[in-house]
Amino acid sequence: MNKHRVALTVNDKAVSMLVEPRQSLADALRGELGLMGTHLGCEHGVCGACTIVVDGDAVRGCLMLAVQAEGAEVTTVEGASPAVGLSEIQAALREFHGLQCGFCTPGMVMVLHHLFTENPSPSEDEIREALSGQLCRCTGYQGIMNAAKAVSARHGRLNDQPTQTPPDTTGI
Amino acid sequence: MKPAPFDYFAPTTLDEVFELLSKYGDDARVIAGGQSLVPMLALRLARPEVLIDLNRIPSLAGISEDGGTLRIGAMTRQARALASDVIRNRLPLLHQALWNVGHPPTRARGTLGGSISHADPAAETPMVMMAYNASMVIAGKDNERIVEAGDFTLGTFETCLEDGEILKEIIVDAPRSDEGIGFAELSRRRGDFAMVSAAARLRLNADGTCADAHLIIGAVAPVPLRCDAVAQALVGTEPTEQRLREAVGLIDLDSFSFDNPEVSLAYRRHIAPTLAFRALAQAAGKASGLHT
Amino acid sequence: MAIGKPFVRVEDERFLRGEGRFTADYALPHMVEAHVLRSPYAHAEIRSISTDQALALPGVHAVFTGDDLPSDLPPIQCRIPTHGDLSAYLQFPFARGKVRYVGEPLALIIADTRAIAEDAAELVDVDFEPLTAVTDPSAALTEASAKVHERGNLAGRWGFDLGDVATALDTAAFTASDRFSIQRHSAMPMETRGLLASYDAGRNLLDVYGPTKVVHTNRNMLASMLGMGEAEIRMIEPDVGGSFGARGEFYPEDYLIPFASIRLKRPVRWIEDRVEHFAAINHSRDCVFDVTVAADAEGVITAFDVKLVCDMGSFIRTHGDVVPSHAAASFPGPYRVRNYRIDAMTVMTNKTPTGTYRAPGMFEANFARERAIDRLADRMGLERAELRRRNLIQPEEMPWHVGTESVKRPTIFDSGNFPLIFERATQAFGWSAPFEREVEGWKRGRGMCALVEPSGLGPFEGVRIEVDQHGRVQIFSGSSNQGQGHETILAQIASEILTVPMEKVRVRHGDTGIITFGGGTYASRTAIMGGNAVHAASTGVRQKALGAASRKFGFPIEDLDLREGAIWHGMKNEPLASLGDMARMLMPGNQEILVTPSAGNIPDNDGLVVTSYVRGVSAGAAVFAVHLADVLVDPATGETKVERYMVACDVGRQLNPLIVEGQIIGGVAQGLGGTFLEELSYNEEGQLTTGTFADYLMPNVYDMPPVTSLVFEESPATTNILGVKGVGEVGPSGVAAAVGNAIANALSATSGINTLPLTPQRVIEAIGFEVGA
Repeated sequence: MNKHRVALTVNDKAVSMLVEPRQSLADALRGELGLMGTHLGCEHGVCGACTIVVDGDAVRGCLMLAVQAEGAEVTTVEGASPAVGLSEIQAALREFHGLQCGFCTPGMVMVLHHLFTENPSPSEDEIREALSGQLCRCTGYQGIMNAAKAVSARHGRLNDQPTQTPPDTTGI
Repeated sequence: MKPAPFDYFAPTTLDEVFELLSKYGDDARVIAGGQSLVPMLALRLARPEVLIDLNRIPSLAGISEDGGTLRIGAMTRQARALASDVIRNRLPLLHQALWNVGHPPTRARGTLGGSISHADPAAETPMVMMAYNASMVIAGKDNERIVEAGDFTLGTFETCLEDGEILKEIIVDAPRSDEGIGFAELSRRRGDFAMVSAAARLRLNADGTCADAHLIIGAVAPVPLRCDAVAQALVGTEPTEQRLREAVGLIDLDSFSFDNPEVSLAYRRHIAPTLAFRALAQAAGKASGLHT
Repeated sequence: MAIGKPFVRVEDERFLRGEGRFTADYALPHMVEAHVLRSPYAHAEIRSISTDQALALPGVHAVFTGDDLPSDLPPIQCRIPTHGDLSAYLQFPFARGKVRYVGEPLALIIADTRAIAEDAAELVDVDFEPLTAVTDPSAALTEASAKVHERGNLAGRWGFDLGDVATALDTAAFTASDRFSIQRHSAMPMETRGLLASYDAGRNLLDVYGPTKVVHTNRNMLASMLGMGEAEIRMIEPDVGGSFGARGEFYPEDYLIPFASIRLKRPVRWIEDRVEHFAAINHSRDCVFDVTVAADAEGVITAFDVKLVCDMGSFIRTHGDVVPSHAAASFPGPYRVRNYRIDAMTVMTNKTPTGTYRAPGMFEANFARERAIDRLADRMGLERAELRRRNLIQPEEMPWHVGTESVKRPTIFDSGNFPLIFERATQAFGWSAPFEREVEGWKRGRGMCALVEPSGLGPFEGVRIEVDQHGRVQIFSGSSNQGQGHETILAQIASEILTVPMEKVRVRHGDTGIITFGGGTYASRTAIMGGNAVHAASTGVRQKALGAASRKFGFPIEDLDLREGAIWHGMKNEPLASLGDMARMLMPGNQEILVTPSAGNIPDNDGLVVTSYVRGVSAGAAVFAVHLADVLVDPATGETKVERYMVACDVGRQLNPLIVEGQIIGGVAQGLGGTFLEELSYNEEGQLTTGTFADYLMPNVYDMPPVTSLVFEESPATTNILGVKGVGEVGPSGVAAAVGNAIANALSATSGINTLPLTPQRVIEAIGFEVGA
């Protein structure tokens, strides 16, 4: 099948890659651009390890084709990390032991990076909803939640702020 | 888990889409948000020769309101719809149901039209469209036709879309603002496939009796189930807890058909009235709040 | 002091920045990719395999089948003693003559890319003669059943018969009997397996990236299968995205990928995809207990009488029958019950083979025992904690010999004050406090599980410590790391003993090229075995530095002290030398402290380097734990919500409280998955019906209740110098039991809640339901 030339911006750099239509964006970021921080845990859109930010939305890197990223602005975990050391979110994840094996971690970092970009002081429910599509097998999520709550608190989260979270549909 | 090879086109107009569809016929598939299709490609359960991407046709996305009529482009992202004030205010049942559709990163790409056209029996959006009696605008190369939501889904992963057609737009007459809505769903894990779900709309008269009601049950049969008997039993009566419990007894449990070891038919039949009751009670509670 | 402090982990920064290096992140020049063609049938004769079309596809380099393997290739050996001879059930890298489970490797396709290899796999033509699939272990034991292997479907039948169970049952005032089923589920690490094998034909050297857990054992197994020298193979553990028991065993691919690299003389990489993972990695649990528990009128438990049937799947793999073996050995738990009988059967079926998953045999046995004890308490009208209290092993009875054994090691609890921890746990949780039985139509219940988790098993562990001229300390550990935090805790121990800051200590592990012998990481052993090896080697380094300083500076060794990373004499204000100085002095050929320059060898001048191998203790270190849960149940739908959860345990001594807590909470999450959500289901044809993450549900953030860990250091392990007990498996071990008891309590259910997972449907079935009620 014909390969396609795709031009896009990745972590603020203009790049171009030659890809087969069947290549996922996550595969292309890894294989063509060497950005190994985007991990593939299931390749069918459930685990969330491959989550990246595309045009301002946190999306599954395995559920977008590379050819669809023409002209897109993409941020990966490499782009969400400072030149040296850790971002505030990353440092909080370390402080609260929000990671063990580290495989799901880039996806966690990216959804939180996206969440805090949109809303510097999300509520606990908003954080939980943002993390709800990310699977972690090691931590039980408690450290991840605590890290995000701490960052939100530092940004002045007040308990009575209105939140955008799902209504309970189960009856309690 | 890599897809079988395919060619890819990203047309920018609907005309191009229909040309490609007529040229490649059965070998082609359109891709909307891709949140269901791409996994099927990766698993090689779907293996089109040609993929036609709808993501570069601006006219297919967007929400607009004209008088009492709402038009939702098929390529409107679930996340955009969820965040839309128009949807929250005018179609609150859709707003509430969307919280149960996948997770934030899948809603960011996933589209309303894609979800409806995928016709997963456990999906929430087709139920909501049925509850709203929405009209589905189907476009083809030379024609456009409108199908009622209740006629759009034909079965599990099966719709009335013919070869060469796509779902273009959804038209909904916004209900009266004094209507209450309710949505209840039970899934084994939040955001995953429902075991049973229930969507309800309910409006009250000034005297507190029910003026109008709709109840749809999902995930129990290939097509969402419209429970008109329940709705009719409520109209003209006061929707007390007891009345609602009696009414949900009229759900046609015989038309349930899904049965698997983890979620048996008997279990679905057992919990459906409870979920229907919860959806209706929510709707009645909201309606009465709106009324006073 | 570094031991016992909640240091943030040294390994975290690379993972947070996306700079971890997992197997799929490695690539080598001229590398090609592999894909395993797997059986679509659970049971079938293989008539023929034709690879011509696949080989003709552009980009395909090779297609290997069973015909390409040496005819005298042995099967993959079991690395653990088993009950009886199970060699008839061992697996070969490729199916031979028959396929016995969906997912069994048939061929290996090597191509330029993974996608092309998958295209080619569709072109391999296999002619099968389908056979009847054996999917139900009880049906498998009938005469009429098809045979998975010639030797028969009953692989083993064995057990223990301690005391006099028959008399105890005859004279019991109360008994409770029921059947408890634990569903097949597995570890499901977030990273799938993967290997990159690179063969240097000229030198006959093979490097394999991707192994973990027991790399030295795996290296030796591979050397023996390939006919290579052990030192000619180097296995290198990269960063590893979780194991939990399943990953890192020697699987068919662990032979096939190196084999392909040798045949092709180029690097071959295989990255397992998630769907393969479901079919290929060891499954676990999958057993049924029939339990009778008996008590006298005073609430003294007088006997456990147990039948255990364990579905082993289609082959015996490297773990042998360790899951039922551990379950049988530890079934009596923390109770002083001397009449114990178990009749265990291991059964072969046409499903993926099984192995261990975190708390192997223990999650299962604890569920069966503790549910049965709740039943008994209810029958007696005795408060549930009180029944347990009356039967706990007393501190003066330590060490407690259960009288059983597993993998040829006697089951011994080395130490512990079970009653003390039990009281503290129940008090902290507020076990006895009254609570609202109903909230908004939901019913609330409370449950507990008391358990003993063995830890620190295995024969030995090794560590080499090297100090360089700059005083930097490098630990080369024979154990491995799949995310637990070993790079931090092992550094803490060396940091403390060598009095150097954490920043100066680095840990390498999981690499056969860095240390001659290694035990590996399993059975919650690394803090204990790896930790004590670091302790021994650090102590050796300390002594070596002090001894050399004594000779160099002419002071008696007892007048010298190591602190702040330097050698000090008495109350002097300046150190005599730093550790780095001592390392330099001890470099071979260095003249500084040689007594006789003409000495033929320089025994002391072999660097500030010490290698220590520490021997394991059969008993390991026993952790006593109590799990407590409050659970809400919706009696209308069977939906459940765990409101709060507590694990109280005595770990002897904590190396790093942050990591201990993380292990417990993360372990509880896995336990909750096994309790409520996860199931590897098969249909009658032997097809796995939950083979994607859309069907196999693992807990997400919404499924996690608040979990509290209450960690005590009351009874240091008597079997190791550090006094530590392993904490890796305490978390999952008691979850199904505590939660199950809470649900039964909420519903006042006198039957049911005995089949995992506790789906809403099963919960409802426990109280009986009518359609439309």
